Amino acid sequence: MLRNALRRRGLDDPVVDDVRDPLGVLLRRAGRGDQSAFAELYDSLAPLLYGIVLKVVRDPSQTEEVTQEAFVELWRLAPRYDDSRGSVRSWAATLAHRRAIDRVRSEQASRDRIEREGQKRPIQTDDVDEQVVLNIEGTRVRKALERLTEIQRQAVELAYFGGHSYREVALILDVAEGTIKTRIRDGMIRLRDELGVAT
Amino acid sequence: MSGTDVHQLAAAYALDAVDERERAEFESHYPTCAVCRPEVAGFRETLSQVAAAVAVSPPPSLKANVMAEIGNTRQLSPLLPESVVDLATHRNAKQRMVRSLSIAAALIVIAVGAFAVGRHSGAGSGYATAAAAVFEQPDARTTPLDKTDAATGAGAASASIKVVWSPSDKKAVVVGDGLPDPGPGKAYELWLVDGTGAHAVRLLDKAEGRQVRRVVDVNGEPTQWAVTVEPAGGVDKATGPIIFAGAV
Repeated sequence: MLRNALRRRGLDDPVVDDVRDPLGVLLRRAGRGDQSAFAELYDSLAPLLYGIVLKVVRDPSQTEEVTQEAFVELWRLAPRYDDSRGSVRSWAATLAHRRAIDRVRSEQASRDRIEREGQKRPIQTDDVDEQVVLNIEGTRVRKALERLTEIQRQAVELAYFGGHSYREVALILDVAEGTIKTRIRDGMIRLRDELGVAT
Repeated sequence: MSGTDVHQLAAAYALDAVDERERAEFESHYPTCAVCRPEVAGFRETLSQVAAAVAVSPPPSLKANVMAEIGNTRQLSPLLPESVVDLATHRNAKQRMVRSLSIAAALIVIAVGAFAVGRHSGAGSGYATAAAAVFEQPDARTTPLDKTDAATGAGAASASIKVVWSPSDKKAVVVGDGLPDPGPGKAYELWLVDGTGAHAVRLLDKAEGRQVRRVVDVNGEPTQWAVTVEPAGGVDKATGPIIFAGAV
């Protein structure tokens, strides 16, 4: 039935597994150089990727740039997508987040250099509060986040949306590095279980 | 990174909250770790759901820009499994130096080995001469291939394959030792991997006496070599997992 439905839409890929992840069909076609399939994929993924990058990078014009880089990367790597390693959404989100992190880290590095040279304060603190108080929509996700302890939630959010390494998170929250590693791990496990992600 | 410590990093890694050194170390660990690999996948899936809660529609102009740019962007090869990519990416500079220092030694050993086995390995009477011609090329470069996790089976532990390639001669010598029998109706096949994909170079013999000795024609500039087990007739597109791979 599903297969027939896909066929009617011109998605006649015979791989049955793709039915479970319709984006997999599009990505596979894109992986064979099909630009119209990639355009469809873009429509499905753009809000997710743009949202991630915006959250991390903040600056809208840089966000556009980084999101574009992420999509081009997705296109380049499309022939190598391996569905045994996760869904298309998860893969694309990973790519976009990594790009965003790389961007803020390299900016941070040059800012730090400038500040060191100018004998100014070594670590920025002004945007910490703002990042801790994240306005996360989505009831299911918000509820899942509420099940975390305060420090777990802050640690996960500072890392994922704040773009901070766990060492920086430890400094920000004034907790030992070893402790923060454990909190991040415990928080992610609880979040995963609360959201019902199969392992 | 110690053994107990490394598993702790799966969550921080999935969050991109590790530094570059840790990232590189963890990436050389987790794809083959039964604990970390599924954990990373689960955390990434989790994070994509979290991220969906902050989804925002981008400005419409972005789509046109993306589509314009992909029109000018080459896609990577479809065949390359992660194992090959990882091998290429994570081979560190130190290993590379050791490797290049050992090339001269390897050349001598292979040359001697080639002459020794050429006569009786069934590889053809021209093998020794052809192999020597490749070794003599100043641009000949030796690539010892790394075993991947897919290289299993009796005796796989001691198996080794080296490829000595001369770009000017457009030929390569394949030297395999200690290779397990690929199985009935199967044979080893060598692949040239370049920017456009993986190309079948040559079906190697059945590794009689656990050895492979071949001089093969190479039309192209490999960035990597890979070996798979394929039906004895040979295939144009790899069907088996990559069991040996090495970056040139």
